[in-house]
Amino acid sequence: MTAVFLILFSWGMVAAKSRRQAISLAAAGAVAVMLISPPRVLAQGSLVGAIQAVLNVIHGVIKTSLNSINAVRSAISQFYQLTVWPQQLISQARSLITQTIGRYRSQLASIFNLNLKSASLPATQRLETVIRDAQTGDFGTLASNYSAVYGPLPTATTASPATRTLTDMDDALAEDTLKTLKESDDADNLTLGTADQIENAASQAAPGSAPFLTAASMAAAIESQALTQKLLAAELREEAAHLAHRNALRKQAAAFASQVSGSIQNSLQPQQ
Amino acid sequence: MKEAIKRVKAGLKLAIGWACDHRLRAAALVLVFLLALPRPVKSQFLDPCCVILAAGLSTISSTLSGVIGGGLNSVLSVDRTIQNFEQSVVWPQQLIAQAQALVGTLRGVSTQIQSVMRLPVASATLPASQQLEQNLLSANAGQIPNTDSAYTAVYGQLPATAQASPQSRNIMDMTDAIAQDAMKRAIEIDNLANLEIQAADQINQSIQTAAPGSAPILEAEADAWLVRANAYTQAATADLIRVRAAALAGRGADLKLGATNTQGLDQKLQNMLQPKQ
Repeated sequence: MTAVFLILFSWGMVAAKSRRQAISLAAAGAVAVMLISPPRVLAQGSLVGAIQAVLNVIHGVIKTSLNSINAVRSAISQFYQLTVWPQQLISQARSLITQTIGRYRSQLASIFNLNLKSASLPATQRLETVIRDAQTGDFGTLASNYSAVYGPLPTATTASPATRTLTDMDDALAEDTLKTLKESDDADNLTLGTADQIENAASQAAPGSAPFLTAASMAAAIESQALTQKLLAAELREEAAHLAHRNALRKQAAAFASQVSGSIQNSLQPQQ
Repeated sequence: MKEAIKRVKAGLKLAIGWACDHRLRAAALVLVFLLALPRPVKSQFLDPCCVILAAGLSTISSTLSGVIGGGLNSVLSVDRTIQNFEQSVVWPQQLIAQAQALVGTLRGVSTQIQSVMRLPVASATLPASQQLEQNLLSANAGQIPNTDSAYTAVYGQLPATAQASPQSRNIMDMTDAIAQDAMKRAIEIDNLANLEIQAADQINQSIQTAAPGSAPILEAEADAWLVRANAYTQAATADLIRVRAAALAGRGADLKLGATNTQGLDQKLQNMLQPKQ
């Protein structure tokens, strides 16, 4: 490129016809050469300074920042391991649960499973057995055993319809409650099993898996509360029926008294 | 050879002659040729600038490896320790999976409890008592409007004005009212208990697919349900206490009425036994 320029420039200078043309061409050539000339080379002194500046940045700002980050990360790591989740305390908590299981579980079970039966006659023993067996497949046996102890419903000839209805309602609600209690006893055993399973899992849990067990325990507590409510509803029905029964007798007594009063008044009136 | 030297000499004479005749043009040509002259290239080995550059780059490289690389390695090492600690001690995947599996097992137990509690317990044999029993065990709050008629069919109507004193009628009506309220509350509570069991199952289902960070949120939801359930239990207990209070009040009222009636009967007998004028 430079050679072509020089050849053309030389030819132009030789071929220039006037002094003015030669001067113009010389000026243009000088300017062109100045423009295409290579850039200046930096002095040695400024290069050393630039390298030193880079080194200063590395040793200063970057090193300090990295050291700070490292210090913070180390502090976080220590905080986790010594304060938030100390391995020793986690192990202690697990072993506490294991100890609690060993110390209390069988004791609780033996107390809870004590034989409470107290009936002494054959019919009452049979009824007592069936109402305490925590089984739900023998409701039919419960009905017959109940009838054997508390007697059957009076026939239509031995009691008034009102009395028969009252008696039937009383028996029905008593039997309903006894059946509900059998269901509840069965559910209670399952709930106790759930508590055991959660406790077993807690004895091996990690801080990160414990929230699952806590949430599951809460869900089980809701269910347990719902079962308690069902028992409470049964008790409410029973107590309400008891009250209603007494009130029905009161109504019957009022009607009877009104009837007797009328009869006495009629019989005491002087005959014409 | 001599011929060539002669030609060069002749050429030089011609050029010098042209330069002498055109001094300005010759000077301009020399100037431009000098400006366009290629510059010397600096050697990589001998030039002191390159040596300094190489040494500087080498120092920067070793500094980067030592200071930044070392620092980053320390940070990485601490991060790896934290990661290892979190994965093996705080949130071990295996124990999380075990806890989730346990929740699945507990859901099975819960389903078992639900099926046990749904077994029919109805025992009445007569039509009126069967109807009331069906209503009371329905666990359906929508059935509450039918309780009054079913109750009356079993426990009888309030005596007419001519059959009982106003005081007696008040006592009987109040007693009936409290008994019916309690029966209606029992239907409500059964219905609510079933809904609570459903909600507990849904929460359990969510726990099975939860993360350690989202499980406490579900726990809070379960806590809220437990608080609500406790409130319902309290409401049912209040109704139970009302029934017992009404029973006690009824017994007291019976005594009071008995005393009044005895006095009235005594007066009537005295009037009857007095000799007629």
